[in-house]
Amino acid sequence: MTRLLFAALAVSLSLTLGSVSVAQDAPEPVYGGSVTVAIVAEPPGWDPTVSTSQEIPRVVYHNVYEGLVRLNRNGDIVPALAESWQVSEDGLTWTFQLRDGVVFHDGSSLDAADVVAKFERATDPDSGHTNPAYYESIETVSAEGSTVTFTLNEPNTSLLYNLARPDSIIYPPELADTQRSQPIGTGPFRFAEYVEGSEVRLERFEDYYLDGVPYLDSVTFRIIGDPNTQFAALRAGDIDLIGVALSPENALQVQNDPNLKLSQGTATTEITLALNNRLEPLSNPLVRQAITHAIDKSVIVDGAMFGFGTVIGSHVSPAEPYFVDLSNTYPYNPERARELLAEAGYPDGFSLRFELPEPYNIERRSGQVIAQQLTEVGIEVDLSIVEWGTWIQRIFLGADYDMTIIGHSEPRDINIYANPDYYYGYDNAEVQALIEAAEQAPSDLAQNEIYARVAEIIAQDAVNVWVFSPPYLVAAANDVYGFWEDQPTPAIDMTEVYRAP
Amino acid sequence: MLFYLIRRFLSALVTIFLASALVFVAILAVPGDPAEIILGINASPQALAALREQLGLNEPAWRRYLSWLGGVVRGDFGESLNYQRPVATLIVDRLEVSVPLALGAMFVACVIALPVGIVAALSRGRWLDPLLTSLAQLGAAVPSFWLGLMLILLFSVELGWLPAAGYVPWERDPVATLRSLALPVLALGLGQAAVMTRMTRAAMIEVLSQDYVRTASAKGLPRRRVVGGHALRNALVTLVTIFGLSLSQLLIGSIIIEQVFSLPGLGRLVLTAIGTRDFPLLQGEILVYASAIVLLSFLVDVSYGLLDPRIRYQ
Repeated sequence: MTRLLFAALAVSLSLTLGSVSVAQDAPEPVYGGSVTVAIVAEPPGWDPTVSTSQEIPRVVYHNVYEGLVRLNRNGDIVPALAESWQVSEDGLTWTFQLRDGVVFHDGSSLDAADVVAKFERATDPDSGHTNPAYYESIETVSAEGSTVTFTLNEPNTSLLYNLARPDSIIYPPELADTQRSQPIGTGPFRFAEYVEGSEVRLERFEDYYLDGVPYLDSVTFRIIGDPNTQFAALRAGDIDLIGVALSPENALQVQNDPNLKLSQGTATTEITLALNNRLEPLSNPLVRQAITHAIDKSVIVDGAMFGFGTVIGSHVSPAEPYFVDLSNTYPYNPERARELLAEAGYPDGFSLRFELPEPYNIERRSGQVIAQQLTEVGIEVDLSIVEWGTWIQRIFLGADYDMTIIGHSEPRDINIYANPDYYYGYDNAEVQALIEAAEQAPSDLAQNEIYARVAEIIAQDAVNVWVFSPPYLVAAANDVYGFWEDQPTPAIDMTEVYRAP
Repeated sequence: MLFYLIRRFLSALVTIFLASALVFVAILAVPGDPAEIILGINASPQALAALREQLGLNEPAWRRYLSWLGGVVRGDFGESLNYQRPVATLIVDRLEVSVPLALGAMFVACVIALPVGIVAALSRGRWLDPLLTSLAQLGAAVPSFWLGLMLILLFSVELGWLPAAGYVPWERDPVATLRSLALPVLALGLGQAAVMTRMTRAAMIEVLSQDYVRTASAKGLPRRRVVGGHALRNALVTLVTIFGLSLSQLLIGSIIIEQVFSLPGLGRLVLTAIGTRDFPLLQGEILVYASAIVLLSFLVDVSYGLLDPRIRYQ
């Protein structure tokens, strides 16, 4: 107990120190220059509305493309192409006032018809638009002057948040077919050149509607898949910023390098040991509680993450507004775990398949420690590694598994516990009713209260074991400032980044 | 000779066809749906169905394979599911990285392996041979991705001479292209050099123990002419085989090296194609690899006749 508390304290302490030190010595912004940022994989084109690949928004969202609203670096929803909006009393009519004088990178002006065309496409399930579910509640979209009106078929508190997602970006509808290779948006940078498979260069857009930004003349995103090569390239000065996939061991080395700095922010990822609630013996809540008691999460954070991470107790990361610390619901207690197993009718334990997803290093390492810990309370673990396509198809979509481990990085994703067909197989009418109510909650605050309640229920039910939330780690050259230290949305926003001596 | 060529050509076609069919079956056997990979795990069934229709995934597998094969015969390699661009242009773009990488590595390997292997064979029984052989053993044991990382740490991080990762296209700045290829070529070439050194040494020792070499020495020919004129000439048939096989190994080895050095080559495209179940792209790539390997082995066979006049083709 004491050790657990101490570990949690140490993590929160280092979090505070990390962000303060970066913010404190930031000099005045300087205009000009360029910054090179590492990304990890080649995106399949550049249009976030036709592919859900996370590599696409990392480069283009906020930098090249924008939507009506967006998240700022603190995760608050703020105006982007819409300067203001109103919601009617009954929550069924949403009116957005577009900003004046917004131009696309090809010189044409943004008008309300562009916005209408966009959401007509998004709500048409045959259009190939990604995630049509985000827009399901939209009945019609209409334009009048520079006002766009959404009429909903039911109140939907999540709509505004969904409009801040990368799927909701707006580009000239007549250029839809070429966005894949030649993105045209309204953002602070225009898409200048893509060297196939190697790097993409963005250049400052002179006609950006906000004054004073961006600071940089150009930004290059270079594709470097191997984390060790990324780190070597940063040390060699070939790149200036690592914002994706910085490994914990490299983060330690960044801390010791006088030419580099490390920032640790919050991220919305929960490393989740998923239990198949449909199958014996995991369908027994006592067994799931026993498994939670058997796992010493702080050892995993130290062993797999070199201490970078916060122990959690439900499907909520500390970055979410509805976070409550539930990590002591079923604390580490192997004795209690054995008692519960005996009580559930398994005094001699049982054996489980435990499958680790091949591409994810942190999950693989954590899984190995967990397997060891489960063995100590008498659960025999048959550990194997599965390739990603197989993981998606058989485990995630087919729910053919006993245990697996994965980072759930989507923000505000606690609603997955209301879906009995989800791969956890968790079917609880109370949770389903609460999530339904949350969708129609009168305010964000009310919605957050309901989410916090759901977090408590699923923790009590020990649906899964939520192990820890890894921080968002950024490594940068000492002279680079203004980058986002948290990651509320999967974008590497370069709008306010600058270099200063 | 003509009859031989026709026979070889036909057997090459069968080999390539079998390779493509095998890969097609393999990718059908592993779980994973391209449409789900493109639209993500939250995609609605309706959107998935629409995309599957658009990509032609609703057709039965054998018909997809036959229509792909029919396209290839007409010179049309189809369109990549993931990139939604013609496979042929994707592959050709990547060859400008992978071909110089493999050839450069082959050059490095030959320049090291030939002299070192010959010297090791000639100094058999003295101190130099075990030293060179141990070095070659060590070189063969070191994995190329580790060697690549060490080269990056030395030449990019410590010395700052060469870029750590990335690629500059030839048309932009050829010197920069060569600089970005230098370390990968070295990492790939050194490992192969170690393997080839051992093979060259073995081939030379074999030839040096032949009767005609003893006869040549006995009749008083200078050592240089015995080695250069008699031994090396006869060892060439073996060496050409080894080098031909090595080049195919380099093509495969470049998949890992391209990953370490972040080069946009054919190897990385293969990994992407497998990850996204992009079967037209993968089929096209396998076709290129299989053709390259078949062509190499054909060239090796033909060269035997040039190197050894006793060999005739029937």
